[in-house]
Amino acid sequence: MSDNSSSRSSGFDRRAFMAGAAGTALVPMTARAAAQDARAPGAQDPALPVDVTLRVNGKDKRLHIDARTTVLDALREHLKLTGSKKGCDHGQCGACTVLIDDRRVVSCLTLALAAEGLEITTIEGLATDDHLHPMQQAFVDNDAFQCGYCTPGQIMSAVACVKEGHAGSEADIREYMSGNICRCAAYPNIVAAVKQAAPEIMKG
Amino acid sequence: MTAAAPEPKANMGQPVPRYDAAAKVTGRATYASDMPLDNPAYAFLVTSAIAKGRIDGFDLVDARGVRGVIDIVTHENAPKLKESKLFSNGGYAGTTIQPLKSADIAHDGQIIAVVIAESYEAAREAANRVKVSYTPMAPSASFESPGTTTAAAKGQNAQFKEDPAVGDFAKAFDEAEVKLTASYDTPTQHHNPMELFTTSCAWMGDNLVIYEGSQYVYGLKNGVAEQLGIDAEKVRVVNPYVGGGFGSRGSMTPRTAIIASIAKHLNRPIKLVPTRDQGFTIATYRAETRHEIRLGAGRDGKLMALRHDGEEVSSRPDAYCVGGTKTTTRLYACPNVASLVSIVRADRNTPGFMRSPPEVPYLFALESAMDELAVKLNMDPVELRRINDTTKEPIGGKPYTSRSLMACFDEAAKAFGWSQRSPQPKSMADGDWLVGYGCAATCYPTQMAPSAVRVRLQRDGRTRVEIAGHEIGTGAYTVIAQTAAERLGVPLEKVAVFMGDSDLPPAPVAGGSNSTASTCSAVMMVCDQIRQRLFKAVMPSDSLADKAKETVGISQTPSTQAAKSDRPLDLEKAFDALGVGVVEEYGEWKPEGAPLDSFKAMHGGHARLVGGHAMQDKIAYAFGAEFVEVRVNRFTHEIRAPRLVGAFAAGRIVNPRTARSQLMGGLIWGMSSALLEATEIDERNARYVNDNLADYLVPVNADVPGVEVILLSEQDDHINPAGVKGLGELANVGTNAAICNAIYHATGQRIRKLPVRLENIEA
Repeated sequence: MSDNSSSRSSGFDRRAFMAGAAGTALVPMTARAAAQDARAPGAQDPALPVDVTLRVNGKDKRLHIDARTTVLDALREHLKLTGSKKGCDHGQCGACTVLIDDRRVVSCLTLALAAEGLEITTIEGLATDDHLHPMQQAFVDNDAFQCGYCTPGQIMSAVACVKEGHAGSEADIREYMSGNICRCAAYPNIVAAVKQAAPEIMKG
Repeated sequence: MTAAAPEPKANMGQPVPRYDAAAKVTGRATYASDMPLDNPAYAFLVTSAIAKGRIDGFDLVDARGVRGVIDIVTHENAPKLKESKLFSNGGYAGTTIQPLKSADIAHDGQIIAVVIAESYEAAREAANRVKVSYTPMAPSASFESPGTTTAAAKGQNAQFKEDPAVGDFAKAFDEAEVKLTASYDTPTQHHNPMELFTTSCAWMGDNLVIYEGSQYVYGLKNGVAEQLGIDAEKVRVVNPYVGGGFGSRGSMTPRTAIIASIAKHLNRPIKLVPTRDQGFTIATYRAETRHEIRLGAGRDGKLMALRHDGEEVSSRPDAYCVGGTKTTTRLYACPNVASLVSIVRADRNTPGFMRSPPEVPYLFALESAMDELAVKLNMDPVELRRINDTTKEPIGGKPYTSRSLMACFDEAAKAFGWSQRSPQPKSMADGDWLVGYGCAATCYPTQMAPSAVRVRLQRDGRTRVEIAGHEIGTGAYTVIAQTAAERLGVPLEKVAVFMGDSDLPPAPVAGGSNSTASTCSAVMMVCDQIRQRLFKAVMPSDSLADKAKETVGISQTPSTQAAKSDRPLDLEKAFDALGVGVVEEYGEWKPEGAPLDSFKAMHGGHARLVGGHAMQDKIAYAFGAEFVEVRVNRFTHEIRAPRLVGAFAAGRIVNPRTARSQLMGGLIWGMSSALLEATEIDERNARYVNDNLADYLVPVNADVPGVEVILLSEQDDHINPAGVKGLGELANVGTNAAICNAIYHATGQRIRKLPVRLENIEA
């Protein structure tokens, strides 16, 4: 954030470049943006992009994004990590679930700015060296998905469910996995998968 | 072996894990909105706040002032698009209501503007700053609203050809010893697949690539080309994975051509990610229906008279209907049958297919009525079905190709413990819970459509299958890979399948449960072409070629028999004899009885489904029986469905794992349609009220403690070469009736309107 002025100017340059690329439709808008910049020299315009560093799957990622960008959109639109899915953008479906400092979080309701300095783990960060994580393997073994769209969120949620100590019984698993909607309704298989993976995850 | 992978019975393939399993558990499976675009602009929709009337004007000053806005497209400046007819009238569209064409508003939530901006955030903000002034008119919302019009479906919907009837219903009903007349209602429902209705469009010169979750890439490609007025060969639709369909992505919606035309105009890729609530009005849905059933029977339970009248809501311009009487008039033996389907036009978006479109609402009515009749007869409801079981459908007298309905009832009853049921209502309880057992039949027509496929076999056995099929969660990749491996005699892991791309050979719409039957029959045929070429190379004389033909089963026989090749092909020897490194074959398969223009239609994006009751001298359906335990709390009236048991017979089961999963999901869908799902409509404004996943109730994990799927072995040599009936839409039919029948058994209260919520249970 200390680098506010340069970030603003780089944002402006990018837009001016786009105006050239995209044709006349852009020109009035660019003019308006320039006028705003001139009107408020030095002041922090909330609509201007900000610099954010997110730590995703163990790596620092520097971003220059709209301050309103959610963790989900930062992952999907800016970091090309599209494993986390947008199913409602309202925190109602769980398809965007990621781990932030090992807690399961709906990334669509978390601003990227608010996640700065925290450890974000996505579905892409779960498997290591071509070996599936025990929960991923359990989802394969138990056919715990059909269309697969909710699956990354289910798996991240399931990993946290086990670590929270909520995988002790089938009833517990069902209850604590109920924040993740699966419209194909693979639910009984998801319960079986969590049950299979739980001992291995607790061990390791 | 886990419960997920049932031991195969006769005429079943191996329960191998899904072809796409690793991609799906690692996040590598790419859905439409995951596709990388080069410097995209973002689109955000503005939708109508009124259901009927006109737009007087827009005030866009505020919206245009948002930093990053590139353009705002309304009917005043939208690129002109050609009209597409409704799919049922020879077009591609799921609705003929074309947004951004004029100031007229035909339904709530109609697209009225598209904001394009540098970022998703800017597009969203600007969309919220678009100000619209309207001249509203009073809309008609549904059945009870003033201003609707009602007319018979026959004559206004080209796909609804007849109101099935036979004998003399009026006389037979009049004379029947036992009579039942009852009305049933089913609600509006929305598919709500997990993947939003996204569309990305990118032009490269005159060529357009569309990334959009679709159940019919050839239909979408041709439909968008028609609307844009360009050659269909310049349009490519890509979606290797689809995040659920359930019918919602079967026909073209207006958004696609709109986004494509804006992308062309701005010369930039555009990505549209509509919101969940917009999905309720920019795509289709299952319309509400109401029914009157009249049954007349002898004291022995034999049906003498059956009449089914159904009414369905559609939009003002489009005569969409599902017309389930084609099934309900043919399910049981009955000499005197009458029926009538009517369409009620209201100020709504056009409805469309939703998982088992005709059967879910229409069998709810019939299977509830059968249970009511059993009560009147003081007869076990399973026995009533047995008494009226038939090998021929009663309307045209055509034989069922195979029918395991009662075998399903018997297997499921045994697994469920039906014999433990005490028949009297309100006679079973467990503490504060009234316990009820209920059952119902399910069925779904066996349908097939022409399909093409290209198969390439290498000397080392590596195989590539190319087909523009669709992976909507059904296991399409898996069953196609299994079929090719089995037919060519190569290891499964050597088979690669490419789908979800309209540049590949055409496959039919992934709807009507026809995909496995159609695509696997095509794969078998083309694999046989390859085998024939190789056999001929090794054994060039005619007689040996004929022998080979016979051995590989080129004729229409089920794959179980055909696969029993008495001499496995020595690939290396055959390739050496041919003197090539790769053998590639393309072929087009069509089902028996397919119309003459089938292949032309297939390439043009029109799926000509044949099957069900519409076959020449036979009728083909898959069957099942479902049993449920319902618990109703004596004090709070909370309703729970702790056990769902279904037994199903659907011809050859290519993969018991994917089949079981789909049927399990279907049972849960069925429970949901009985107890949870309904789109509530504000009658004054013709507006969907609960248009989000918190208020539109779908099942979560805690709702479904016990689901059991039993796969019956069944062989049917009269349907298609794959011997497959299809089962994606089988299990969610009849469940709604089984649950209401169980609620009656638990409480003594007959509920004829869905969904059943605790407030519907009387003291």
